Amino acid sequence: MTWRTRAAALLREPLVHFLVAGALIFVVLSGRAPDTGERRIVVDEAVVTGLVNNYVQAFRRPPSDDELDGLIRDYVRGEVYYREALRLGLDRDDDVVKKRLRNKMLAIAGAEAEATRPSDAELQALLDKDPARYAEPPRYTLEQRYLGSDTPSLRAAAIAQLSSLKPGDAPTLPEQPIPLPGTLDGAPLIDIATQFGDDFALALEKAPTGRWTGPVASGFGLHLVKVIRRDNPPPPKLADIRQRLENDWRSAAVRKAEEDNLNALLKGYDVVIEKPR
Amino acid sequence: MRRKVMLAALLLGTSGLIAGCDQVKNAVGGKTVEVKEADYPEKVLWGDTHLHTANSVDAFGFGVRLSPEDALRFARGEEVTSTTGLKAKLPRPLDFLVVTDHAEGLGATKALYDAPRMLITDPTMRRWYDMMHEGPQGSQRAMAEILDARGRNDLPKAMLNAGDAAERTKSVWKSNMETVEDYNEPGKFTAFHGFEYTLMQGGNNLHRNVIFRDGADKVGTVAPIDPTYKATPDEIWNYMEAYEKATGGRVLAIPHNSNLSNGLMFELTQPGGGPMTAAYAKRRAKLEPVVEITQIKGDSEAHPFLSPNDEFAGFGVAGWELSNLLGNQPKTPNMFAGEYVREALKRGLLLEAQMGVNPYKFGVIGSTDSHTALSTADEDQFFGKHTGNEPNPNRVMQPQNLGTRKGRFGWHYLASGYAAVWAKANTRAAIFDAMERREVYASTGPRMTVRFFGGWDFKADDLKGNWVQAGYKRGVPMGGELSGGKNGAPSFIVSALKDPIGANLDRVQVVKGWVDKSGKAQEKVFDVVWSDPGKRKPVGGKVPAVGDTVDVATATYKNTIGAPTLATVWTDPEFDPAVRAFYYVRVMEIPTPSWPAYDAVRFKLKLTPDVRVKQQERAYTSAIWYNPTKS
Repeated sequence: MTWRTRAAALLREPLVHFLVAGALIFVVLSGRAPDTGERRIVVDEAVVTGLVNNYVQAFRRPPSDDELDGLIRDYVRGEVYYREALRLGLDRDDDVVKKRLRNKMLAIAGAEAEATRPSDAELQALLDKDPARYAEPPRYTLEQRYLGSDTPSLRAAAIAQLSSLKPGDAPTLPEQPIPLPGTLDGAPLIDIATQFGDDFALALEKAPTGRWTGPVASGFGLHLVKVIRRDNPPPPKLADIRQRLENDWRSAAVRKAEEDNLNALLKGYDVVIEKPR
Repeated sequence: MRRKVMLAALLLGTSGLIAGCDQVKNAVGGKTVEVKEADYPEKVLWGDTHLHTANSVDAFGFGVRLSPEDALRFARGEEVTSTTGLKAKLPRPLDFLVVTDHAEGLGATKALYDAPRMLITDPTMRRWYDMMHEGPQGSQRAMAEILDARGRNDLPKAMLNAGDAAERTKSVWKSNMETVEDYNEPGKFTAFHGFEYTLMQGGNNLHRNVIFRDGADKVGTVAPIDPTYKATPDEIWNYMEAYEKATGGRVLAIPHNSNLSNGLMFELTQPGGGPMTAAYAKRRAKLEPVVEITQIKGDSEAHPFLSPNDEFAGFGVAGWELSNLLGNQPKTPNMFAGEYVREALKRGLLLEAQMGVNPYKFGVIGSTDSHTALSTADEDQFFGKHTGNEPNPNRVMQPQNLGTRKGRFGWHYLASGYAAVWAKANTRAAIFDAMERREVYASTGPRMTVRFFGGWDFKADDLKGNWVQAGYKRGVPMGGELSGGKNGAPSFIVSALKDPIGANLDRVQVVKGWVDKSGKAQEKVFDVVWSDPGKRKPVGGKVPAVGDTVDVATATYKNTIGAPTLATVWTDPEFDPAVRAFYYVRVMEIPTPSWPAYDAVRFKLKLTPDVRVKQQERAYTSAIWYNPTKS
């Protein structure tokens, strides 16, 4: 039984798929019967080393002589049945083989993009297309005082206090203890959002600098906030975010390559669709 | 061989392809980044150490088609399309992720699914193949049968071809490794190399997640190992020690779902019986510094059978206390003690008293164990355990029995949990080191910030100053050990801050475990600080319930009860310097709607009364241990 599963495994091999695909194309090009290669099975050093390595990976010890003989026997069986199956044309008109080949064709289409190293110009273009996506978030230097849970009376008190506050004065409303930093020094907005919640971060973007404002609501309650400095980091340079750009480039390129490949192949076909009425 | 490859390539007219296949990608963009570690951990990092993609035998069988790359993009906050076609995006990205696909049969169901049908001669495998091709439901039935056969040691021989498996594993592992390297961004987002070692004795869960501290240069020298039919974890420990010795790298293992081990995860004896040896205990404690205490398949903190005086014990045990993982062995109450983490911490003290080494001196984290490649632990965003229960109207009540009809349903799954790590930087090294020193805690989903320091001279006044610095200077953080106090009882700084977009806090508790004079393990839960203390006076030593603002009909709650933050300095009133003990913190949220309640609103469902529609989510810290000075 195992020879068949071994053959199944071989049919899943990229190498085998190259061979099958190559053979098929050869048929298309030459119009001749499929040439499934020489009728000689060579188990060379490279094959044996491969078998041994796989065994070691699985069992963390080399195979015994008997076991190695078994592996080689199995390999030969697989080769024989694989080649005979091809010779008999068992691969033709099999939906699953078709599907596998289609997947392999897709993989081949995508593989080039997968392995290609994008040029700097391509990465720069990606960066230029959506600079906001790659921009470092603004950084804030600020002081905050936590007043307590958000209630109408506390809100009113905070507003009253702020309106009577002279420039340079510090607020006198009692501060409530909370395990959050009272001062932030150049903290990225995204970190502030993580610590205080998105609403608080959004409010900071509109806050004036150099004086106490508020009350600003966070997930914890009300705060008075004094934004001391807001720094917008310079636009990111390619060199600093190359890997991120490459990841995005590659994931888009693989998808595009598959599409392009299909479209190119489609040009060689007349597609006639006759839907039943 | 090589010649033939070239021939095929030429025929295909893509000669660049062959070179491309073997190219190792870490040469690309291989810029080394220096990330400075802080003096002490300033910011808690959130992550998931337990996530499966289409490369996991069962995840694929359950239907997922998303790759590790999709998983990493999702964790980093990118929008991805789930297997069932739903758009998914985390409202708040994670700081780190470990993709832990099952080593056993890595890529195997995918390979079976992709194999030519005519070449599958084993009738069982052919049936599974056909079922998987029927669609998601057939796929899930096939998976249930495969798991069941695995539990009975009855998988078809053809599926156990070690050579095939090793080949597959190697190629999947190599490709994952490249992806993980590409998405690891030191300082911003950490992607770890890892896998799950799915040790399972007759359906009893002894699983471990294996996580490497190193990059592909070292991790690439090994491949995940298959635990099929191993009875004890020794094999993975051998593997880990061999890896460390050969590469100078570091690796740790995280046991999970002790709740489904039918008493085997935290045994008092050596596995298989006989007294535990000090060598075994030492090895286990070193290699497994952290345990996953909460996840989708239930919560393993405490069980009401073991902790009858703890009214909050038994969170997320419904459905999971019926049997072992595969549902092929019913559970009996005598098994609970080997399954729950609090009890394991107590057993650790007992064993330490006997042989001088504590095998169970571990920290705790939460993680999802999601099999959708989507790391979701928030109730209102829960994407389910596996593709079959991505959001859909049926998932709450669907049986989840792996074909055994043993009474597990969709709603028994928890939208839980995440791992919180007090690391000095967002890097592999810093996060790994924090896990090794157990400065970590678990959340059932909400991102509460929890600090816990133990020392000998903390006073209430400490909370007014820079108490974090004081905590590190004059005490030890969670995961640490105290000994040799000369000033009476130890005192603890306990501080909890609610999730900024979540529910208020009900209370903070300290759970103490110790071994009494008669050699018996004891436990006690202390309410140490709670909301509205003016109104909520303890009755018979217990603080009354916080109340409930949940409106099930709309799946909403109000933060009109509870407190945004709770902090105190607590001294153990019952301290005995001669008695070894541990202390850990449990932070309770006010009640909130559970994911079935959100589903009920979303899909206009009528739920039966037994379905959990609200709950009190929580965080558990790693313990601080007190070791008496030998007299």
